[in-house]
Amino acid sequence: MSQSLVDDPAEAALDPARAFTAGKDREPGGRVDVRRLARFVVRRPGLLLSVVVLVLVALASFHPEAFTSQDPLKGVPSQNFRGPSGSHWFGTDELGRDVFSRVVHGAQLSLKATLIAVLVAFVVGGLVGVVAGFTGRWVDDVLMRCVDVLLSIPALFLSLALVTALGYGTVKVAVAVGIASVAAFARVARSEVLQVRQAVFVEAARASGARWYSVLARHVLPNAAGPVVVLATLDFGSSILAVSALSFLGYGAPPPALEWGTLISDGRNYLANAWWLTALPGLAIAATVLATNRIARALDGEWSRQP
Amino acid sequence: MRGYVIKRLAQAVGVLWAAYTVSFLVLDYLPGDPVTAMAGAGMDSGQVDPARLAALRHEYGFDKPVPVQYAEYLGRAVRGDFGDSVSTGRPVTATLADALPQTLQLTGAAMLFAVVLGGGLAVLATYTTLRWLRQLLLSLPPLGVSVPTFWVGLLLVETFSFRLHWFPAFGNDGLGGLVLPALTLAVPTGAQIAQVLAKSLLTALDQAYVETARAKGAGRWRVHLRHALRNASLPALTVVGLLVGQLIAGSVVVETVFSRDGLGRVTAAAVTAQDIPLVQGVVVFGALIFVTTNLVIDLVYPLLDPRIVVASGRRAALA
Amino acid sequence: MTALPDARSSRWTALTALVTTSLLLTACGSGGGDSTGGSGRPASGGTLTFAVGSDAGCVDPQQVASNETIYSVRQIVDSLTDQDPRTGKIVPWLAKSWDISPDATTFTFHLRSGVTFSDGSKLTAQVVKDNFDAVPKLGALGTLAEGYLSGVKSTTVIDPLTVRVTFAQPNAQFLQATSTHSLGIESSASVKRTPQQKCSDGVVGSGPFVLKQYVQNQSVTLARRTGYAWGSSLWSKRGEAYLDKLVFKVVPEAGVRAGSLQSGQVDAVSSVGKANEAALKGSQVALQRRANPGIVFGLGLNNARPALKDARVRQAILATVDRKQIADTVFPTGTRAATSVLAHTTPGYTSLAANLTTDTTRAKSLLDAAGWKTGSDGIRAKAGKKLALTIDWIPNPGTNQPALELIQQQLKAVGVQVTLKQLQVTQLAPTLQSGDYDAAWGNVTRADPDILRSSFSTALANFYRLPKSGLDTTLTAQAATTDTAKREQLVAQAQQLIVRNAYYVPIVELQTQLGVAKKVHDLNFDASSRLQLHDTWIG
Repeated sequence: MSQSLVDDPAEAALDPARAFTAGKDREPGGRVDVRRLARFVVRRPGLLLSVVVLVLVALASFHPEAFTSQDPLKGVPSQNFRGPSGSHWFGTDELGRDVFSRVVHGAQLSLKATLIAVLVAFVVGGLVGVVAGFTGRWVDDVLMRCVDVLLSIPALFLSLALVTALGYGTVKVAVAVGIASVAAFARVARSEVLQVRQAVFVEAARASGARWYSVLARHVLPNAAGPVVVLATLDFGSSILAVSALSFLGYGAPPPALEWGTLISDGRNYLANAWWLTALPGLAIAATVLATNRIARALDGEWSRQP
Repeated sequence: MRGYVIKRLAQAVGVLWAAYTVSFLVLDYLPGDPVTAMAGAGMDSGQVDPARLAALRHEYGFDKPVPVQYAEYLGRAVRGDFGDSVSTGRPVTATLADALPQTLQLTGAAMLFAVVLGGGLAVLATYTTLRWLRQLLLSLPPLGVSVPTFWVGLLLVETFSFRLHWFPAFGNDGLGGLVLPALTLAVPTGAQIAQVLAKSLLTALDQAYVETARAKGAGRWRVHLRHALRNASLPALTVVGLLVGQLIAGSVVVETVFSRDGLGRVTAAAVTAQDIPLVQGVVVFGALIFVTTNLVIDLVYPLLDPRIVVASGRRAALA
Repeated sequence: MTALPDARSSRWTALTALVTTSLLLTACGSGGGDSTGGSGRPASGGTLTFAVGSDAGCVDPQQVASNETIYSVRQIVDSLTDQDPRTGKIVPWLAKSWDISPDATTFTFHLRSGVTFSDGSKLTAQVVKDNFDAVPKLGALGTLAEGYLSGVKSTTVIDPLTVRVTFAQPNAQFLQATSTHSLGIESSASVKRTPQQKCSDGVVGSGPFVLKQYVQNQSVTLARRTGYAWGSSLWSKRGEAYLDKLVFKVVPEAGVRAGSLQSGQVDAVSSVGKANEAALKGSQVALQRRANPGIVFGLGLNNARPALKDARVRQAILATVDRKQIADTVFPTGTRAATSVLAHTTPGYTSLAANLTTDTTRAKSLLDAAGWKTGSDGIRAKAGKKLALTIDWIPNPGTNQPALELIQQQLKAVGVQVTLKQLQVTQLAPTLQSGDYDAAWGNVTRADPDILRSSFSTALANFYRLPKSGLDTTLTAQAATTDTAKREQLVAQAQQLIVRNAYYVPIVELQTQLGVAKKVHDLNFDASSRLQLHDTWIG
């Protein structure tokens, strides 16, 4: 009893994936029922809204022109510092550029960086976790001690150290953020692999003489993937925050490249006369992160708990 | 008990050593030549004077084989010597020590805000019988972890400094200057504390002893605070330990937003100037604070709840 | 007193005329210290909190070239002479008088007696010699001071209070140079330290304020020097300064500076851009403006880069930029578009407005002629190489970034791709020295046209990697000429050579604009539009 009291919620806070690993039914090869999915989503307006937000943001990063016809890089200098209005939803900046258009076009780099960060964390962390969990013994020990060390360095400090070493730029910042969250992925992947490894069907497969790699590929990975995917969704949200924080600090791409964090940082110079330059781009970040977190929560517990 | 303490201490030292090694590898050997980076001070390439490069290389011992350098550096680091900052020429340890009090003040105040606001929110949300209020309160923590801290800080400055003139917008002057930055830093931390505490409070309220207390006729408020909160706050305490590292790191952004002197601003400047010894000092220092806090919490834990000792092994791995 | 030999007086009259005109033109926006207050008599005491946007990473006045750091470190040292911001005339300070040989090669200064440094040591001719002997060895950061003393043959002590500086060639600019912060006099003990030590630990001066604390990138704190009694002859208050303490805080965001001045958290802020003017107007704040003399803001081109070696490419850039749009959109009200490489308030300025018009058609044909053809992405290329420039810049003042983003847009329209690379203030000088850059954004403030020689002579630092040419001869000649009319002619010729060859792309003149709380009085500009805080009081 004391074990769960100490461990469960605490670790849930640090690596949220633990919260759902317990008490979840595994249905190997279960099909997703479209009607059930639709009912699930419609009953949760918040979730529906989150999906809509995320779809819009994704669309904006591929086809920004669909949302705005204004040039994000060229404005009318004489029309600078106009507040939000019908013709400029988010107002204009110091050079008369349309801020809404800049936010929409900024989605591309910001999302690209976030995806790279999640991918790095997913691939590297997942690999470490699977190898540790599947091999066991001293390999497990060594790898997990390394993961513990990574966890003991505050994530932002680790990212900053990597930025110092790698230099500035969107991709470098993304890699730095990704590596800082490798540890969480490694832990979740490992614990999933361990659980699945000991499951009856895996034991059976091994007993019947299947090769280790086929056991890994056929049974262990597909079953361990779910929680890691949920973690990836959650990590997407925190990566947006981390990437935007680093570009806010000035380590992202230089102008005219558009990134959400940089937009806010530039707006700081006009905090006293143009609030919309900081407030509105920040809203875009907050909405996106909120939406991904909401979806992650749905993927995690709610879906399996519903009748 | 003594064995437990010694084991935890040894683990803490081990983690610090490893953190140093990680920072050494990342900063000194990942991209290639740290000396060119130093001499170029943030520039991409170096048409830097070769003589200066050689001199720097010698000064920092980079002309020696890697293991030798590592041993020398580690030996000095153990004695608290992380070398001199490249950009200011001051010893790294002194630079950090000067900046630390300001940041401790900030993170201390932020932790206070986070515990009071986050804890209060969790208690109120689990206590109230009003459905809408509970829903509203429980929707705040997810919001708190989703907003960028720098954005919250700027909105607070805009509102409370520039419009209302209640608090200063920047600097380290007095308690008034501490309010907005500490509040900003407390938002994500408080939200996480609220999430964990609310969850464990709900679990605790379902437990048998709470039922017993209720059956004995204890009032609702009394059951909530005396019995449930006491048991539920242990996991929250662990979370607090884990969040300390996050707070210290968060000071980089918050101190930049509020132009406050401190560790965070030193860090941001060090990264910008590619001041490798200073960045390395900050990383190891961050780990030191994190490890120490968690060590203290681990050592205090058995005193609060003697049942814990059994489970210590798993938690230790986390720190 | 033989302060101003006859040979020079005519020159100074002309100079005075120029400077005065400029002040009349810019005075309209000036809130000027004394016009703001009117409440009570000057009173001693109090702390002035001044928010600046950046820190040069150095608190040695001899090595600092960045205005926002000069504001603070200038107060630590006194100079041999001072320059009247209204007339441009050189007046006594630490030197009570001076003699200049008719050929302008020998300068003899007669020092005041009784001057002490804040470490207790006395000002003697030997100290001045120690300073002038050390300046040429300052290295990368000291290029301004080194330039002033270039060609110095010797500095000799005549008697304890008389010192003589001898140059190999005539050096007309030297007297004005002794009035600058760059040649501020430091104690012998300070001078003996290494340039880096002086930068990080500060120096001991004889000025009205003493350095108390310096935290890099954060703050500079100065305290009043007790017993100070040797102020410049221009100052209205005798003896010690009014203020007890000066605190300069580094607040990088112009918006936060402006907001903090409004809310009363600080008493004065530096570099107020156009964006924040409206926010500050009407509150308890006055805006003070003064045009800076010297080299205007612009792109210093690395003339050794393959693409930029071609004069046509440089001229095309010169013809592309729309100076008026940049000045009107970004810079403080009243800022002038550049009409020469020198600001119009610099002695010897000549208008080359006709050469600095925007003509993108001409720019395009120049680039076509140079073989740069427009590619499918709109960027020009030649032999597979794109016409791409990286502009290095520092975020001081805050108007730099929007100005450069406009330039980026304007150049893109003719097919030149621009990348902006932000440097720390401390990195700019080493970058220029290393030559590893395409173009650098900046300006240099100095109230003497000899700044052209400091910036463009191939015999000196030659940051812009100019080829040796007739320009060198012209620049050397103007420095050696004591005849005003002749010198002006040479200076005009030099400006024409620089603009016609487009060695440098002049964009806008720097106009310093401060926001100052109305309770602060007599916060005055010196001749170089930097600050004199001895007479400043709060009431």
